[in-house]
Amino acid sequence: MSRTGFYIERVGVVQRLNPMTKLAAALLLIAATFLLPDLLTAPLIFLAALVPVSLLANVGRSFFGVVAKIMLPIAISLLLVQGLFFPIPNPTPVPVGPLTFRLEGLLFAARIAGRLLVLAGAPLLIFLTTHPIDLVQSLIARGVPRSIGYILLVAMQLVPSIAERASAVADTQRSRGLETQGNLLMRARGLLPLISPLIVGVLLEVEERAAALESRAFLAAGPKTTLRDVPDSPAQRWARWALVLVFVALVTWRVALVFS
Amino acid sequence: MTAIIDLRAVSFTYAIANGPALRNLSIAIPPGQRCAVIGRAGAGKSTLCALCAGFIPDFYQGQISGSAVVDGQNVIQQPVSELVRHVGLVSSNAFSQISGARFSVYEEIGFGLENLGVPPAEMIERIAWALRVMQLEDLRDRSPYELSGGQQQRLVLAAMLALQPPVLVLDEPSAQLDPPATAHLADILRDLARQGTTILFAEHRLDWVAELAERVIVLDGGRLIADGPPAEVLIDPLLLERQIGWPHPAQLAADAREHGFWPAARPLAVTTVDLLAGLRVGLATDQRAWSPQQPTAPDVNHASAGAQAVTADPGHTTTAPIVQLEQVHYLYPSGVAALGGVSLTIGAGERVALVGHNGAGKSTLVRHLNSLLSPSAGRVCVAGVDTRTTTVARCARHVGIVFQDIRNQLFARTVRDELRFGPRNLGYSPPRVEELVEQALQALDLVACADMHPYDLPLAQRRLVAIAAVLAMDTALLVLDEPTAGLDNASIALLRRLVRGLAARGKSVVVVSHDLDFCFEVLERVILMRDGVLVFDADWNTLDTHVLADAIGLPHGLYVAQALELPPDSALNALLTGGPHPSVKREA
Repeated sequence: MSRTGFYIERVGVVQRLNPMTKLAAALLLIAATFLLPDLLTAPLIFLAALVPVSLLANVGRSFFGVVAKIMLPIAISLLLVQGLFFPIPNPTPVPVGPLTFRLEGLLFAARIAGRLLVLAGAPLLIFLTTHPIDLVQSLIARGVPRSIGYILLVAMQLVPSIAERASAVADTQRSRGLETQGNLLMRARGLLPLISPLIVGVLLEVEERAAALESRAFLAAGPKTTLRDVPDSPAQRWARWALVLVFVALVTWRVALVFS
Repeated sequence: MTAIIDLRAVSFTYAIANGPALRNLSIAIPPGQRCAVIGRAGAGKSTLCALCAGFIPDFYQGQISGSAVVDGQNVIQQPVSELVRHVGLVSSNAFSQISGARFSVYEEIGFGLENLGVPPAEMIERIAWALRVMQLEDLRDRSPYELSGGQQQRLVLAAMLALQPPVLVLDEPSAQLDPPATAHLADILRDLARQGTTILFAEHRLDWVAELAERVIVLDGGRLIADGPPAEVLIDPLLLERQIGWPHPAQLAADAREHGFWPAARPLAVTTVDLLAGLRVGLATDQRAWSPQQPTAPDVNHASAGAQAVTADPGHTTTAPIVQLEQVHYLYPSGVAALGGVSLTIGAGERVALVGHNGAGKSTLVRHLNSLLSPSAGRVCVAGVDTRTTTVARCARHVGIVFQDIRNQLFARTVRDELRFGPRNLGYSPPRVEELVEQALQALDLVACADMHPYDLPLAQRRLVAIAAVLAMDTALLVLDEPTAGLDNASIALLRRLVRGLAARGKSVVVVSHDLDFCFEVLERVILMRDGVLVFDADWNTLDTHVLADAIGLPHGLYVAQALELPPDSALNALLTGGPHPSVKREA
């Protein structure tokens, strides 16, 4: 994983959208897959909204790659488990070779898989097209505490850097004759010298980093400025309101449907 | 002029410590001064830095008394968040000072400015300036985490410079920089001071202190023991007495004086320029310095002389090489070539310096010496076995490597346990393990702290523990990566003794270092790398000094001998490049 997570630096219409606009659109699409009961809702949203947007944003390849990596194993196991064992009296049999699937189960699996497709795909598109700092800054501008924003950003970079440190520790201890291959007992014995320097290192760093953040005025009083310009426009503000309205309308319609 | 840093009778004891870290310290520093703080490891230098930047007692808790005012602010009372506009601190570990919240060098420098609410237009200007000053323009879009140690150090300095604090406090700013970068930093700090910035810096490298500082404060056990201009303080015998040491030019000048080559009334030099000037005067008046050296005076202390003694020993010349590299190429997974056909052999009793710029391929080469990396093409043999057919753990019987980042190494509860780990892994019998551990403890003067936790020791001693832990493995070859980084002179003296002792016992040592004076004093053979290939592999007497000078500079003695154009067989040349150093005598 790169330091900026999924983000791919490209110039395009989608990249120029305000993160909040993208967030509002994603939320609406996700809500729609749950609120519109038709089996085809989710696949339609995926094909008619997410796929064109990913192509428009010039991140199609990564989008399909990640979606396939996440969704294929889930979809296959859903179809197998639900398709074969869906708990229903008198299921409609669908024989496939030596196996007998249950139609209700297959439909249920398809519905869940479709929802997951949108649930994973929409946020993924945001991450692919939005610089993490822009996303965090937009959140902070809407009231998320700065410290939470900081933790989000730091976590993205810390994971790869801890992984690098772990391999440096392993190199160091192997150079001291530690056998990292071999039977379970030998490996278990090697755990302490591998893990302990990592933990001590991280703990020491926490203190030093806290001091460094203070040195860099993180806690200084007064107004802040930002180096990155997060794009926005009156049109987008209107669009966001419109998206919220559609969302409210959808919910109202569903609730009304339940009570009617 | 009123002082911008004004400490009066400050004493401080850390919450978990037994004794005070600072004792009754009173210092007044005027604006625009470049003031160095020197002293042995644990003398209180870092504590003084933290205090002046307001981190005590707000961040590092403990008992404090006295008063401390910096740029009109009471740094004992005020929180750091209010002091950042007045004083900025850069500490020695660059990695942990990267904010982690920004993804490029450019944005990282902007982070502090954003927090201070600097308007974007000004912010962009200041970042551009900081990038230019710290020579980071080519790296502006790189992730801070993908930089080398030296580059990261330049980045955290740039980020602090961009904040433009009136007082800049630097704790070992040169620790991870190579010689050209260190010289460049001195120029920058001089410029800043000229424009009015006050600079307080703690430093072990006394040569650099002599070049940069206008004033030197010496701490010992938290007490101020000397304070004055470098030309006076850095040749104070008290510094030798307290094992703080002198800068190299002062040592060389003292050697010259002992042999009558230094003008009688002239004070000893602390900088290279002064040393040259003094020697020129001495040479003009005393022709003896030019005369050929007496053949009866063998220079037993210099590396090459010692090496001759070792190679003359028939017991070592017949043994097989410990490590042999044949046309080794190495490509990173990204396809970038890190080594482009390296061949070399390291035999018993050799002392080798591996030098070159950051990124020249030194670390990659070292990782081939014990099979951590396997060559993409070519062959590496350790004790006659191809490293492709063996494991790192097996190579560890023959080659011990001490890496620079000792945090990756130390894990045991006591120093003694830490030392036992390696020899136990190698399968030595318990009595032999204990014997090796005791020898290593003694070699690095760690007997007194053998039962302490490694992390309770000051950083310099922790590095000695890391070295002792690999030394205890009793390998035929010991590889040390930047062993002198962050060490005080007393610890470096221990290392010098260690390396000489190992060679005398037929063990080999490879040192990767930017510390050319250390290399010159104790190592015989020099391998210079550039862009993944060997530029030369020669001993100090035969290597091409011009090539070395262009690449990374020269050790003081060699530089001065060249600048004075001394005949190779002259007495003064022998003194500068091979004669007995007073430091060596003191160790003996």
